[in-house]
Amino acid sequence: MKKRIFQKISLVIVAFTVFISCSKDSAGVKTPTGKSGSVTRFTISGNYLYAVSSHFLYAYDLNNSVRPEKVFESPLSFDIETIYPYGKYLFLGTKTGLYIYSIDSAAAPKLIGEARHARSCDPVVVNDSVAFVTLKSNTACGPAVSGLYIHDIKNLMNPVLKKTIELPNPFGLGIQDSILYVCCGSSGLKVFNVKAPYSPGLIATKSDGDYMDVIPYNGNLICAAREGIILYDITDPASPVFIKNIAN
Amino acid sequence: MKSMILLSISFLLISCWRPRDNYMPYPQQKVWGNKPVYASKDSAKLVLYDPHPHPVVRPGNIYAYSSFIFQADAGTGIHIIDNSISSEAARIGFITLRGCDQISIRGAYLYTNSYDDLITIDISDPVKMKVVSRVAGAFPEFLYNYPLVEPDEPGYYECPRMDSIVVGWVKDSITANCYKN
Repeated sequence: MKKRIFQKISLVIVAFTVFISCSKDSAGVKTPTGKSGSVTRFTISGNYLYAVSSHFLYAYDLNNSVRPEKVFESPLSFDIETIYPYGKYLFLGTKTGLYIYSIDSAAAPKLIGEARHARSCDPVVVNDSVAFVTLKSNTACGPAVSGLYIHDIKNLMNPVLKKTIELPNPFGLGIQDSILYVCCGSSGLKVFNVKAPYSPGLIATKSDGDYMDVIPYNGNLICAAREGIILYDITDPASPVFIKNIAN
Repeated sequence: MKSMILLSISFLLISCWRPRDNYMPYPQQKVWGNKPVYASKDSAKLVLYDPHPHPVVRPGNIYAYSSFIFQADAGTGIHIIDNSISSEAARIGFITLRGCDQISIRGAYLYTNSYDDLITIDISDPVKMKVVSRVAGAFPEFLYNYPLVEPDEPGYYECPRMDSIVVGWVKDSITANCYKN
């Protein structure tokens, strides 16, 4: 009799523990992924690798890390340049616009919105309900006014272009807190305060190299420049302090 | 009428049969331009790890992970940078991976491409990185669109054969049928 009660209590305790740990937010046990630049065709969200070639979107299941397994493949009619994950969404930068996919069903991305524009290449970063995109006018990517294009994406199915800032030769970009970093090649690294996202304020321009892409990570701003990798300390994101240039 | 249709179809087929957008349907006479250097698919897809710094030739995609920075050298491999003390950050190794230009990391594994293959590399030991799997043909479009498929510089060049992989370019007298702006 005593044994039975003890067994029952143990079962309840185990069940309770399991219930507690299952209902806890499991975000803390996510496998770390580090951070990529904004000009990339590979991205990982949760347990999936999403990749884009010029006309295809793929999803690979990484639950078995050593043996990725293709679970999704979709031909698309647009020329895809970059991919960027944000929450339960994927943002695809293409030659004809910005396309937004839902990865609510991670193994089956679904197109939910698009913001078309003149032909251009598209690195994009997203913060809250704002998407920052750089467009560059050159022969490979088509005509457009080169610059930073800021979209309101509160309604993902209908992104709205709210602000355009003309910039010379813009390419990769990154965001940390309310500070946006935009690479403008030999015209420098532009540092914007985007607390008011549709009225960005230019704080500074760094000129330590020919900037192509940037990653804010662990208090560092890692810049991919033509001359090498330039590192800044961004303990204060608004004031990058030069640390080193790892020359080519 | 039949021959007109046949002719149109043949013309269409010929015009679709082009390796790149730089294709010129009417080849130039002998000019001084770039000639592709080919490698077999097997040797082009070989992966090697050297725990020593290599010079950067075509700075490409970067990826930050823990105290490391990975930088693709477009078309030839991945540089590994030790960033544990930023003021002393330096390249410490190079993974030879032709046709590479993408990097993504999850846990102790780096996912990259070698042309159209998806490669998984175990990076848990920064001195002894190794390939743990390869998904051949994962990204068919990458086989026709990789960093070295055209020369770095503008000008005339010999269009690469579709059935071969280009691993370099040399200057030579060529019958140019491609032009890069």
